[in-house]
Amino acid sequence: MLIVDTLEAEYLVDEAQDGGQALKLIEKNQYDLLILDYMMPIMTGLEIIEKVRSNVEKQNIKIMMLSAKSQSHEREDILTAGADYFMAKPFSPLALLNKVGDILHED
Amino acid sequence: MKIKSYLRKSISRQFIAILCFFILLFLIGAIILVYAQEQVNNNYVETRNKLVHKSTMVSELNNHLEKAMFDARGYIAFNNQAMKKSSIDEKTTTAELISQFKEVATTGDDYFLVTELVNFHQYYFNGILQEAIHYFEEGNMEAVTKIATDGGTDRINTIKKDINDYLQSTNDLLNNKLDKLKHDMKILQFLFLTYIFILLFVIYLIERNMVKRIGNPLANFAKAANEIAKGNHAEILIERKREDELGVLSVAFAYMYTSIEEKKQDLTSQNEELIAQQNELQVQKVELERALETVKQNEETLQRRNSLIKGISNSLYKKEVLDSIIVNLSAILRADRGIILVMEDHSYASYSISEESANQFRADLYQGMLERLKKDEVPFILTRELVLAEKGYVHDLYIPVFNAEKSIIAVIMLSSFSNAFSNFDQEEFISLAKQIGISLDKIQLFEQTERDRELNRDILNTIQEGIQLISETGEIVLINEKFTSLVGMQKGPGCALDEWLKVLENQFLDPESLIQFMKASLKAKQGKSFIAFSKEGKVINIYMEELYRGTKKFGLFVYRDITKEYEVDKMKSEFVSTVSHELRTPLASILGFTELMINRELKIEKQKKYLHTIYGEAKRLTSLIDDFLDVQRMEAGKQGYEKKFMELMPIVESVKDKLKVNATKAHTIEIVNMAKEDIILGDKGKVEQAITNLLSNAIKYSPAGGRIEIKLYKEDHHLKLAFKDEGLGIPETAMDKLFSKFYRVDNSDRRSIGGTGLGLAIVQKIMHAHEGEVQVESEFGKGSIFTLIFPATNHDK
Repeated sequence: MLIVDTLEAEYLVDEAQDGGQALKLIEKNQYDLLILDYMMPIMTGLEIIEKVRSNVEKQNIKIMMLSAKSQSHEREDILTAGADYFMAKPFSPLALLNKVGDILHED
Repeated sequence: MKIKSYLRKSISRQFIAILCFFILLFLIGAIILVYAQEQVNNNYVETRNKLVHKSTMVSELNNHLEKAMFDARGYIAFNNQAMKKSSIDEKTTTAELISQFKEVATTGDDYFLVTELVNFHQYYFNGILQEAIHYFEEGNMEAVTKIATDGGTDRINTIKKDINDYLQSTNDLLNNKLDKLKHDMKILQFLFLTYIFILLFVIYLIERNMVKRIGNPLANFAKAANEIAKGNHAEILIERKREDELGVLSVAFAYMYTSIEEKKQDLTSQNEELIAQQNELQVQKVELERALETVKQNEETLQRRNSLIKGISNSLYKKEVLDSIIVNLSAILRADRGIILVMEDHSYASYSISEESANQFRADLYQGMLERLKKDEVPFILTRELVLAEKGYVHDLYIPVFNAEKSIIAVIMLSSFSNAFSNFDQEEFISLAKQIGISLDKIQLFEQTERDRELNRDILNTIQEGIQLISETGEIVLINEKFTSLVGMQKGPGCALDEWLKVLENQFLDPESLIQFMKASLKAKQGKSFIAFSKEGKVINIYMEELYRGTKKFGLFVYRDITKEYEVDKMKSEFVSTVSHELRTPLASILGFTELMINRELKIEKQKKYLHTIYGEAKRLTSLIDDFLDVQRMEAGKQGYEKKFMELMPIVESVKDKLKVNATKAHTIEIVNMAKEDIILGDKGKVEQAITNLLSNAIKYSPAGGRIEIKLYKEDHHLKLAFKDEGLGIPETAMDKLFSKFYRVDNSDRRSIGGTGLGLAIVQKIMHAHEGEVQVESEFGKGSIFTLIFPATNHDK
């Protein structure tokens, strides 16, 4: 709710309640960026990354992972699993907005 | 000279020469004999022929004469003219015969006969015959007769007589000649025999000389040889100049003798030497015999000792050995009874001695005997009168047994009624005691070692870490029980490297890196540590240390079961993650919404919604921190409990009311009270907390809603409070860890359900503090029943 509220002013945002729902949305629509929480019902963020990355069509989608597990080895695990960006919880909504802006305007 | 020297050189030649000489002489004699015989015989035959011839002639003459006279007479008588003629014819014939005879006449008789015959012939043929014929022709018979008577007839008779005489004498002569022949022959034979005898005699003389010449030296040789054989000095008496075999023999003999003499001298000296050696040997022999005697004695002693040693049971158990010592020693020393008492623990073994007597012996020993043994340090024999027997003495042999430190470790007492001990000397007793001392020492050492070993083994087995000692070749030398249970390997010492590595391979996950670590550790000097995960789920820390025994190197692998630590560690880090997640998630909401409210212009509804969220998250944060602190307190034992007797049901009711807000519409919460009374002794706040946790869990983990039943009932004097839900249920694997702190059932269904993993841990701790219990039954996917069990109270009484 916080993320959607933060980003919806500037971007088109879809929100999913769990992994399954998320994957369905990803399949249906073309997204520029995926923001995942590490701890999610049904599927963890890592599992979703794995599923997305195994799909050839969706390989180029950018993924940002949010996690309270901010220890360095946890951060490494997340990045090696296929996430492009990482943001520790708690985060500043504005910092998130800036970061998303940076990511989407990179190209 | 040549022949002589030729003969001198050989006796056989001499013999042959003599033989030849004899044969020659014999032949000469024989030839002479034959020749002489021939001569005599010839002479005889010639003479005889002459005489026979003469005789024949005379006979013929006689015949003719007689014929003439007969014819003449016939003529006269018969007037036969033919007869007259034949008679006259005879005149010439006779005349011729006479002249022939005259020619052969040699002797006087012959000549006399010839004269007579001639005269008669004249007289007869020219005289009377013619006259007679004439007269007869004239017929004058008277004249004729007269002529005959006048002498005619006489004359005829005379001549006849002469002739006959002659013939007679010739015949005699012939006989004489034959006799002479025989005689001569005899003489010749005699002479020949004589000659032979002389010859034989000469030969005898020669041979005798020869034999003397050979025999004497031979006898000399024989004598000398005999003398030499007897070992005396001997000289050979023989002509120096002899050149024959004997001469050669004598020279050779002399040489031989000299050489024998020399050798004899050599031999004599050698012999002397030998005799000297022999004497020495004799001395040595005597010494050896003496030594043998000693050896024999020693052997006997040794045999006795051996039989003791053999007899002493090879066991290391004291009782067994003591028994066998006393039985064997009694047998060897022919004792009638015996006892061995070990000083250290007063254990003893006896041979035909009652327990009472044994105790008596022990008491006696301490009243003097032991002191004596300690002082003298040698065995002794005590002869005493039999106490109860009618006659005789008993001989008690006391033998102290020393250990290596020279202190008495045991005393042996043997009794004999016949004093069989007098056959042995003290030395022997001491040596037997030494043997026994050694075996007792051995046992003590063994017992000590055994105790140490047991201690070490117990220590090793008590240690909660698996220990595996590996030889340089990788063979297992030693393991402890923990190792066996940890690794699940039944194989013990002697198991080869490859064999036990294989077992490890099967027991652990990722066996390649484990094997690699093992092998590297064995090679490397510095042991490293490795964490292995067994297939059973154990976590084992393996590290190796090197151990040196002399030059031998051992590898000591230590297996530490760090499953708990590992899990605690894992739980802790998980807790940190969880806590940070759980803390940060509400914080993220609080901070995020606050930030949004500060930075953005928001509608009033949205602001309210944000504030509600912030409030809720802050409350969650607070309860989280409370739980965490509670656990901390309880774990540290700092939680104080104020226990009072109180009713349980009002607490349950109030909790239900409080948590109603958490439940959704799908939930129905029912309280069933089946107990007659609900008094417990407890801290109201903590009991309430426990009930709150269980009820909130029941609500939380039945996200789909359903009936929640809270049932109070009494069972086995315990008051039980059960919370039954129709929620997610708990998987079998999670059951045993359910009450561990920080543990949360790892299942995707409940990730969204917030929790610290502390709730149940707190419940359990509270119940333990109340000497109660919390139990769980669950069927995964169907629901769970958590039951609080309170101990019976004696509130009624």
